[in-house]
Amino acid sequence: MRWYVQLKSKPILEAREISFSYADGTQALDKISLSIPRGKKTAFLGPNGAGKTTLFLHFNGILKPNRGKVCYDGREVRYNHTSLLNLRKNVGIVFQDPETQLFSSSVWQEISFGPVNLGLPKEKVWERVNQAMAEAGITDLRDKPTHFLSYGQKKRVAIADILAMKPKVLICDEPTAWLDVKCAAQTMELFDLINHTTGVTIIFSTHDVDLAYSWADYIFLIKNGKIIAEGIPEHIFYNQRLLAEAELDRPWLVDIYEELKRKGWVASNVPPSTKQELLEQIREKNVMVTND
Amino acid sequence: MRHIHPAEKFAFALTTMIICLALSTSITSLLVILLMAGLVIIAGRIPALFYLKLMFLPMFFLVVGVLTVAFSFSPKDTYPFLWGFKLGGYALGVTAAGLATARELFLKSLGAVSCLYFLSLTTPMVEILAVLRNLKLPSLFIELMTLIYRFIFILLETTEKIFISQSSRWGYATVKTSYFSLGQLGANLLTKSYYHSQMLFTTLLARCYQGNINVLEKPYPLSGKSIAMFTVAELILLALGLWFKA
Repeated sequence: MRWYVQLKSKPILEAREISFSYADGTQALDKISLSIPRGKKTAFLGPNGAGKTTLFLHFNGILKPNRGKVCYDGREVRYNHTSLLNLRKNVGIVFQDPETQLFSSSVWQEISFGPVNLGLPKEKVWERVNQAMAEAGITDLRDKPTHFLSYGQKKRVAIADILAMKPKVLICDEPTAWLDVKCAAQTMELFDLINHTTGVTIIFSTHDVDLAYSWADYIFLIKNGKIIAEGIPEHIFYNQRLLAEAELDRPWLVDIYEELKRKGWVASNVPPSTKQELLEQIREKNVMVTND
Repeated sequence: MRHIHPAEKFAFALTTMIICLALSTSITSLLVILLMAGLVIIAGRIPALFYLKLMFLPMFFLVVGVLTVAFSFSPKDTYPFLWGFKLGGYALGVTAAGLATARELFLKSLGAVSCLYFLSLTTPMVEILAVLRNLKLPSLFIELMTLIYRFIFILLETTEKIFISQSSRWGYATVKTSYFSLGQLGANLLTKSYYHSQMLFTTLLARCYQGNINVLEKPYPLSGKSIAMFTVAELILLALGLWFKA
């Protein structure tokens, strides 16, 4: 069974009616208000150019809204030096293209940049770097020059970059884009682990409805700079009209489950959130049939 | 040679280069070239053929530069030419002295180049930068070098990608389209680099960048053994060089 969001708990990040236009006049965000549930895994789904990345850059204080407020941990972000540093210490972004994030030619040095900026003593920084490399599974790459890494490896270094800063919120822009199936699965497992063991709030954007459905605790649908829907995956993905409006496909699990349910081939009335759960429901029904 | 302290390698390469340039005799330069080649190929485990290819890289510039030194011309043809010809009222040719200078210059340059090759083939850029930082070079230089070094690879990769995408669409099929494509490549490289540097700035900001790129340095232990070995090698080189010069 899936966990249900208790919106009563204090949200970790909030946007209050934020609007943002780029210098060329494109309105990227249009009066967005939302609350990110603390300690959960939240997914943003929406077509290209919907405003996902722009919104993420607001969460980290890189962009300042033209109107509206961003709040971290109940406190409004003031765009001064201290407030921004505090926000960036607690909210880390892994950018979509690791190529733009990696500046150093050495993996361990690259990862050390964040913790050094936090003003930690040397030993502590080493500890963080080693730990982040272990978590991201890249300890064996430590002495490799960054330009000899594969795309998947670069992505992991980019993630370790942020992990070393130990943020309270980890934002990942399209974590599985351009990754092969194995790499993508490993990345998501890593996020699961971090979320599970340290309670870090995870936010990611994706186009992959199957991934979002199985993986996220809470979903935001975003289109043309507006949030068009939010809710737990079961509510979002069983709503055909909503999916059509957001130009999204239904997850295959939802399709198959509905079909099986119509034929009476599954036992439970609870929509499965993973392939495993669906298979179990089918097997349970089988057992029931043979017992009859 | 990864385990040797980068500062030791740096100092060794630098002193060898100074000896090579200061003594300025063909035999010293030749010794330096052989020493460095030996170190890089045997101790550094760089394939000999690869090293040979690398040595050929500066050859073109060297040959062109040295040729102009080797040739001398004079308005009279009383010059002690080994071989020469007349052009108008001038005599143009090669003298023994010119040839000797050219040979010396050629070997000297190659010696200096092999010292730099030794450094760059055995020491990663990060470590060279660490040495420079310890030498208290202004951080602006170090940061620029860090970024430039990283961007060289990004630039190369971007160039390759654009080139492939152009040539796969017949961008270099004729001379005319080649010129056009090459122009487009150059222009796009500029805009892409600009975009890239902007993005890099954003990503650095997101990680609490405050105007300085601060990173960790790896601690390397200084080793008495390798310092002694390097010193002995330098002394032998110096002694041989001075002996040959005298």
